[in-house]
Amino acid sequence: MSQVLVIDTSTSKTSVGVVVNGEVKFERSQIDPLSHAQVLPEFVSEALEKFPEIDLVAVGMGPGPFTGLRAGISFAQSFAIARGIKVVGVCSLDAIARSRRENSFIAVIDARRKEYFYAKYENGNRIGEPDVRQLIELNRFEIPIVGDLNGDYPEIKNIAALAKAGPSIDSPIYVRRPDAYPAPVGIKFRALTQLDLVPIFSIEKESYGVEAWTMAQLKEESAGKDRFYVVAENAGAVIGYAGVVNLSGIADVLTVTVRADHRRKGIARELLRRLIDWTRTQKCEAIMLEVKVGNEEAMPLYRSFGFVEISRRKDYYGPGKTAIVMRKELK
Amino acid sequence: MRSEPLVLGIETSCDETAIGIVRGRTLLANVISSSVEEHARFGGVVPEIASRAHLEAMPGVLKQALIDAKISLNDLDAIAVTAGPGLIGALVVGTSSAQGLAIGLGKPLYGVNHLSAHIAVDSLNSDHKLEPAIALLVSGGHSSILQVNNLTQDVKTLGSTIDDAAGEAFDKVARILDLPFPGGPSIDSAAQSGNEKAIEFPRGLTLAKDLIDHKFDFSFSGLKTAVARYLQKVPNYARADVAASFQEAVVDVLLLKTIAAAKESGIESVIIAGGVAANSRLRELAQVRFEAAKLQLRIPPRSLCTDNGAMVAALGSLAVTRGIAPSAGGLSADSASGITRPIF
Repeated sequence: MSQVLVIDTSTSKTSVGVVVNGEVKFERSQIDPLSHAQVLPEFVSEALEKFPEIDLVAVGMGPGPFTGLRAGISFAQSFAIARGIKVVGVCSLDAIARSRRENSFIAVIDARRKEYFYAKYENGNRIGEPDVRQLIELNRFEIPIVGDLNGDYPEIKNIAALAKAGPSIDSPIYVRRPDAYPAPVGIKFRALTQLDLVPIFSIEKESYGVEAWTMAQLKEESAGKDRFYVVAENAGAVIGYAGVVNLSGIADVLTVTVRADHRRKGIARELLRRLIDWTRTQKCEAIMLEVKVGNEEAMPLYRSFGFVEISRRKDYYGPGKTAIVMRKELK
Repeated sequence: MRSEPLVLGIETSCDETAIGIVRGRTLLANVISSSVEEHARFGGVVPEIASRAHLEAMPGVLKQALIDAKISLNDLDAIAVTAGPGLIGALVVGTSSAQGLAIGLGKPLYGVNHLSAHIAVDSLNSDHKLEPAIALLVSGGHSSILQVNNLTQDVKTLGSTIDDAAGEAFDKVARILDLPFPGGPSIDSAAQSGNEKAIEFPRGLTLAKDLIDHKFDFSFSGLKTAVARYLQKVPNYARADVAASFQEAVVDVLLLKTIAAAKESGIESVIIAGGVAANSRLRELAQVRFEAAKLQLRIPPRSLCTDNGAMVAALGSLAVTRGIAPSAGGLSADSASGITRPIF
């Protein structure tokens, strides 16, 4: 006989169950986004009173809000070690999707900050890895959306079945990078002056090649009306810059550029934050930006600030070069 | 149960994933996995990075601790875990892991206070009388002088920092001196070749008028500003001298107030604990001053000053020995718990 202890804390619902030979024999759950860690031990203790001979632990590995998710996974992990039994991780979105009969749909788990972890399913199979988006972006797929937003949570029997089928997912599905990035250390941010144009021009050429602004364009762009430019400086050298223009209430990001050897250090994030702060002082209604198709690596950064894809402009960067237009409401 | 309880302690309140195992007051294992290098480029601990690292490191740290202690999980009498204060996301990995172990094994669980645990480490590997004692608790998040009447039940705060913690001051000054994070060890080593008398930095809250309201309190924020101002004024400053003089100002005022508290309370045993207790100048000057003041100084070995699991196990073991009831089923982490709650 096989007794599977099932734990899932990927949504606001803490679920504990015992599945014996494929049948759910015990189930306890509570919906509260903040109490996974408190109620989980209580539910498991209760399950063990009836089913003391657990021989497998199946746990939802997310995606889901991190602290609650880790409460379930760390509990499952150490419980399995204590009992000398195996723990098998499954994708919690798969555990939502497994009950659906539609040919094509999106399963979601609330990621907070107005976003949803999601994956697309076709004919019972997940297409690609889970990701995170705002709901209005998901609506654009024009297929049904199922998940915790309409009361569908990862189901006990599905988690047990997925665990039996394997293979085990052994790391939490975080999707988002560790958030709460602090400001980069030792980097100064200040408004642009004419003296910065020479170093900026060299970063511009290095970053954009033939598409780089010329010195004349750079001068004109940075000096124009209703504009704000900020530079990042490290030990006296300019290593990044960003600019925005206020076009009668709608701001448009003109550039966010960081020297190659200083990328992935949170500098672009800090530059963008300052642009947004400035547009707020200008009482702008929204801020927009364009991302070149093929340069999507910058999109998670924009999304983390609440930018949402609203349209695509063909040939924006020249023939065949499409731009993704993103917008963030400021009101 | 044997006369001496075998206790496993889990610590995850900040960036150290640590497990210690003690039998009674004897240390059997102390395994630490740190994510400090991942935080260094941010100049401080990033909570989400720390929390992820805890979950990843936990099984390996546990396995190693059991090997080092030469025991199996079933031999344990109790599990202890830091339940606060600390980073909430980080604490939850520890408390949930501890509950998984405790429930899986059917053993009692003790949620313990991180600050009390720093002091409890003093109980290890010696059979001296623990209480009463005055404790100077100095770390990255805390700086206080405590009167320890009973470590598991009755700890009174005599004074604490009114702004930055001592360890925080080290981090901030290290940053302006362009020394790497964490600041404690990097200032300590930079100061080795410096002259601690080179610059007279202010000693916070030591003037007669400050002593009226803040007799045993600390303030390090003015000191940090004084260092920053000095660097602006003297562009060709000698870094070693600044580090040594800053460190001297911190250490001087810590010891001054701790000795005063001991004298006033009439308690002759003083414990210095917490991460800053690993500072070499603090250890050196404490020996000299406590001897002169005819007070008994107890200071843990360096490896047990910074966050570790042995201190958690030590406090858990004291709780078991003293017959304190285990924590209730739904033990929850409390990121801001005070020292008045040694056992949860």
